[in-house]
Amino acid sequence: MHQILVIAWREMTRLRKRFGGSASPIAVVLLLAALGLSVFTLRNSVALGSGLYRVAVSGDVPAFQDSRFSVFHTDPAEGKALLDQHAVDVWVDGAQVQARDDDRSLFAVRALRQDLEVQELERIGGAYAPGVAFPLKVGINYFGPAPAAGQGATPSSRPEELIIPSLTPPPAPFTQVLVSMFYVLPITFISIFFTSSFMDEKVNRRLSILLSAPITPFQIIMGKMLPYASFALLTTALIAWLTHTNVLLALAIFAPTILFIFAIYLMVPLLYRTFKDTTFIAMLVTTLTSAYLVFPAMFTNTNDLAYISPLTLAVKMYRNEPFGWREYLFPSLPMAAIFGMAMFAGTRMLNEEYLMGYKPITRKLTDAIYLMMAHVSPYLSVPLWSLLVIPGVYMAQVVFLAFATNLPLRILLAAVLAAAALVEEVVKSIGIVVLAGHGQVKSTRALLALAFLSALGFLLGEKLLLLVSLSVVQQAPAAGALFGAGVFLLIPLAAHFIFTGAVTFLRVKARWPYALALGVGTLAHFIYNWVVTRGGL
Amino acid sequence: MIPFLAVVKKELWSVYRDRTILIAVLIQLFIASFSSGLLLGVLSLYDADTIMQSGSVQIKIGLVGPAGNPLEALMQESGLQVFPYATLAEAQSAFYQNQVNAVVLIPPGIQNTAEIKLYLPDSDAISSIIRMVIQGPLKKYENVLRGQNGIDVRYTDLKGKPSTSFEFVYSVLLPMLMFFPAFVAGSMSIDSFTEELENNTMQTLLSAPLSVNGMIGAKIVSAVIISNFQCMAWLALMQLNGIVIQNVGWILLLALIVAGLTSTAAMLGAVFLKDRERSQFIYSLMLLAATGVGTLLNLSPITTISRLGIGDYYTNGWNVALFGVLLAGLTLLLLKTSRRVIV
Repeated sequence: MHQILVIAWREMTRLRKRFGGSASPIAVVLLLAALGLSVFTLRNSVALGSGLYRVAVSGDVPAFQDSRFSVFHTDPAEGKALLDQHAVDVWVDGAQVQARDDDRSLFAVRALRQDLEVQELERIGGAYAPGVAFPLKVGINYFGPAPAAGQGATPSSRPEELIIPSLTPPPAPFTQVLVSMFYVLPITFISIFFTSSFMDEKVNRRLSILLSAPITPFQIIMGKMLPYASFALLTTALIAWLTHTNVLLALAIFAPTILFIFAIYLMVPLLYRTFKDTTFIAMLVTTLTSAYLVFPAMFTNTNDLAYISPLTLAVKMYRNEPFGWREYLFPSLPMAAIFGMAMFAGTRMLNEEYLMGYKPITRKLTDAIYLMMAHVSPYLSVPLWSLLVIPGVYMAQVVFLAFATNLPLRILLAAVLAAAALVEEVVKSIGIVVLAGHGQVKSTRALLALAFLSALGFLLGEKLLLLVSLSVVQQAPAAGALFGAGVFLLIPLAAHFIFTGAVTFLRVKARWPYALALGVGTLAHFIYNWVVTRGGL
Repeated sequence: MIPFLAVVKKELWSVYRDRTILIAVLIQLFIASFSSGLLLGVLSLYDADTIMQSGSVQIKIGLVGPAGNPLEALMQESGLQVFPYATLAEAQSAFYQNQVNAVVLIPPGIQNTAEIKLYLPDSDAISSIIRMVIQGPLKKYENVLRGQNGIDVRYTDLKGKPSTSFEFVYSVLLPMLMFFPAFVAGSMSIDSFTEELENNTMQTLLSAPLSVNGMIGAKIVSAVIISNFQCMAWLALMQLNGIVIQNVGWILLLALIVAGLTSTAAMLGAVFLKDRERSQFIYSLMLLAATGVGTLLNLSPITTISRLGIGDYYTNGWNVALFGVLLAGLTLLLLKTSRRVIV
């Protein structure tokens, strides 16, 4: 523990020196000021399509507040002329709205409707007494759960909510989702600093000196991570405090997320070869993690699968809706598991030979897997690997689902199933293939035994996950499709074994290129998945 | 000129060799499809028109109250199915037998103001969809009541066409695909410059017959070339998907100028700070700040590019030239300060 604190302290000093020069603090303050300014200006123009429509206005028309409109004030004759020569999209003449009948003009009318509706409400609200201006009130009530036979209906526990239709927009989860995203942004920023610190040490070879000192790689990683992780926690607490919500609850929700993001960013400095790599890999990581976190949260309260993302919990927190332990653990456990896995990988990869070599990126990745697996017997490491990467597979599949949402529904299912099959075949076979590549697996018998163990480990992890998720998710056919809905465990086990066995055999014994072997396995797996989801098995 | 081209060639070759540029291309594809999927797919779940148009949702409303209330006709008009019931108890039992999804209770004797009740199922998912869909008829009914109170509400008969997808394509998708490569170009310039510094290869490079400005210029030019290739590919892809884009030439030129702007600004930061960590940080802050200031001064390349794309009447090459002037100024500044590198 002492060693970790020493390294953490050293890290703080390094950071202070780096950003403590004479000119840079001023520059940072200036830029932060500009940043504040930009947030301030963008606050009013969040609507997409700033300046997209041109509107000619004559007579008594309310001033537009929507940034989508560029307004010309003209006299009526000119307004008509501008509209006819396609110079403007709409012409508002007093209470009359004139448009052409091409698409662009009609789009503008629809956009105009939203804005003018609000303007009219403000005008009416100002000019008349509230009771007259807003004559309709709607009391929203809820029916309780269905009554048992012979009994009266149980009233819902929720109190009546009184709304005025034109003033109360229907509930949409997006505002709270946006607030929850505010937490992820600083965490990502801070973890980028963590990454560049590692890279800096790697470039000027201080990491080599550290590695020769009597401390473990684990202590080095923890020590370097500690200041940044604490800072991320502090920022989380600060945001929670500023947005008037429960600070402890926010910390509990986002602590696993922080660990997860740091775990992913730990991989960046370990894998990169050139600076450009870092930029690209960091961008990839940022995109994928935000997709993973934000996408499910969009479905808060419309689908239980939303609980995959901890942001859903934050959305619930902001709505003062309760959630239980199971809902908390459902997103948090996979994230904590990924963190554990990344820490293990990090300690194995943190050696000078691995860090300093320039190799193709795929080679770099397989070397990392070899380093993680090589220190125990393959018969233990292969099934363990298949079992432990399950959270990663699960996250990858969620990202695929997000990626595929813009496809038509029929292709969507097929695409997701194919991608899922590919990922599963990769994780099950890669360990064996890498070990064989280093000459640790030679006989066909050993190969098939390992393929069986890999399938077993994978299936075990998969069913474990299914068990956990079934307790939270009740209405998720997608989850069933992704994680195999087969009831009889023997059929999926046999299927997994056959696919993995085929891939590894084709690669190791028949000397096929890995991509080709993988393609065969994926195709078989895809057909199997397709049959299962069509209700064949 | 020859050494300049040699550096450009080396830069392009190293990007090709690393292959990681593919990640950047993939990300753009991902963001583009993800955001369009999200916006057009999920947002439509929150748009009453789309829910009703899809026809897959049949929402049945039980109505308790006097006959001939305008709300009944308004609800039917927007595609809801309305079933009248005599009492709330009857409607409630119909609800529990799944004959209706929700119940509206209108008290008798409504004059100019009304207080009605809406009974929804307890499930958040269904009740929020019903509230979304019933919002339109309720607002129209509100306007009917306002009319009875003698209040004239203007602009209630506007129809138009749902504009979300149009706005998304030209004001989000097009700028994003054209400017994301520019953003990457800036990062790449910093990377390739600071890498020479930190690996101590800068001095070797400068011993070739090449000035500091030549070396920096070559790095910027190669980054801009890569980004403009991506832009061309994206434009072609969008056109293949049937999206009509006007002023393609000006758009490509603007994308080129913006890539030049970001790379030059990024390089300027790198020349001053001389390490990757701080340069990248300052660069991303600069990008954010520039977005804000641009919006504030009403001089945003995002607005310009979406206007060019839809063929706006008042937007032409002069708007693009404005950014060209900016680029020339920034380049001059970089040329004047680049000597800091060797001292």
